[in-house]
Amino acid sequence: MSRAFWTAFAIAGAVLVETALGYLLASPGRYLDPFLLVVVYCALVGGETHGMLAGAAAGWVQDALFGGRVLGLSALAKLVTGFAVGAGAGRFLIASAGARALVVLLATVADVVLVQWLASVFSVGVFPLSPLGALSRASLNALVGGLLFALVDRRLRGSSR
Amino acid sequence: MVQAAPARRSRLLLAGLVLAHLAAISHQVDGGGGLSLLQRGLLATLSPLQRGVGAVVGGVAEAWRGWAFHRETFLENRRLEARVRQLETELQARSSRAQEAERLRDLLALRKAMPLETLAAQVVGRDGVPWFRHLTIDKGESDGVALDDPVVSPTGVVGRVFAVGPRAARVQVLLDRDGGAGVLVERSRVPGVVSGQVSGPESGAEDLVLNYVPERADVVVGDVVVTSGLDQIYPKGLVVGRVRFVGKGAGLFRDIRVEPSARFDRMEEVLVVRQAREPLDTPRSVE
Repeated sequence: MSRAFWTAFAIAGAVLVETALGYLLASPGRYLDPFLLVVVYCALVGGETHGMLAGAAAGWVQDALFGGRVLGLSALAKLVTGFAVGAGAGRFLIASAGARALVVLLATVADVVLVQWLASVFSVGVFPLSPLGALSRASLNALVGGLLFALVDRRLRGSSR
Repeated sequence: MVQAAPARRSRLLLAGLVLAHLAAISHQVDGGGGLSLLQRGLLATLSPLQRGVGAVVGGVAEAWRGWAFHRETFLENRRLEARVRQLETELQARSSRAQEAERLRDLLALRKAMPLETLAAQVVGRDGVPWFRHLTIDKGESDGVALDDPVVSPTGVVGRVFAVGPRAARVQVLLDRDGGAGVLVERSRVPGVVSGQVSGPESGAEDLVLNYVPERADVVVGDVVVTSGLDQIYPKGLVVGRVRFVGKGAGLFRDIRVEPSARFDRMEEVLVVRQAREPLDTPRSVE
């Protein structure tokens, strides 16, 4: 199966997770960003080009289904984040679960900062996340991402043997 | 050297994509409100996924509970526990049906009380990102929902439709930073405009801000705030909330916070008000 197919499949999974969380929590977006987990994994595995294309695609879907009146804020933020993570993955060895979790944490913070900066540049009214809110979101994302990436990797290794 | 070409290509692609995104965002911002064709297409394509998930999540949760309960029953007393389970399930189902009936009764009462044509809709998605306060409902253009249609609940005004797909629509909740409505303080008839707060939930309760109320205006804590109808979106007289705080503002106006009546975080059903809006430049009859 092609890389594009699996990326689209993962983004569809992120839509399902985000929607399902909406039934359990009042505002799931404050705690977890499954779209960003998809982008970071694609960037770590596929490099900067795959990371930024996955970022743009995931961001557009997130903007269309969960974003505000102006489309493209999350898309642009995730595009840049995906590129940066992919570029970093090409230069450093990011293989352990801890290192990957740290990358997710930094990527989540970068995504929050980028979205809020873009919103202020384009005068889009948003609720800014407090530093504590952003950090707790990033920590939870890192925890879930670290576990999820390890699971996916184990599964892929198992199937390739 | 060999790797320079792909790296340059990916950077060029990044630059191109960033520019394209900036252009797309700028176009929307310059264009003002309304709905882009892209947003409409994406919403139409992806909203069925969201609707399906509700059923799947409910089914999986029910199956999990059923399995766990059945195992416990087997260990204690299979027959007796099965009976208890059946009764409890029935009781829960009835209680759930009773709650649903109560909610629907409230909704029906509101529907009857409103002189306008309304449409009941279910909330199928909410707040996927932390920066906005939006809901997704399961009714769209094919059901008669239109852009800027007001959305209400039995407890108060919810918001307005800002994006419509064929079978789903997105609602901007009053609490959103870009949300707002023309209102009146019911007791003293003082006019104003409510809008969402700048700060998020971390800074305290999610209240509405009542703007443009002069220092000497007669507003006290506990006053009921209703829509004025002057914004040409919300019909006059719908309950928005209750004044929770009145303080001295920085300029000529008071600092007033309004606790919204609608419970946005637990909302399951809403009513979309389908109203025939007159254009702003059409003179209205004094009669």
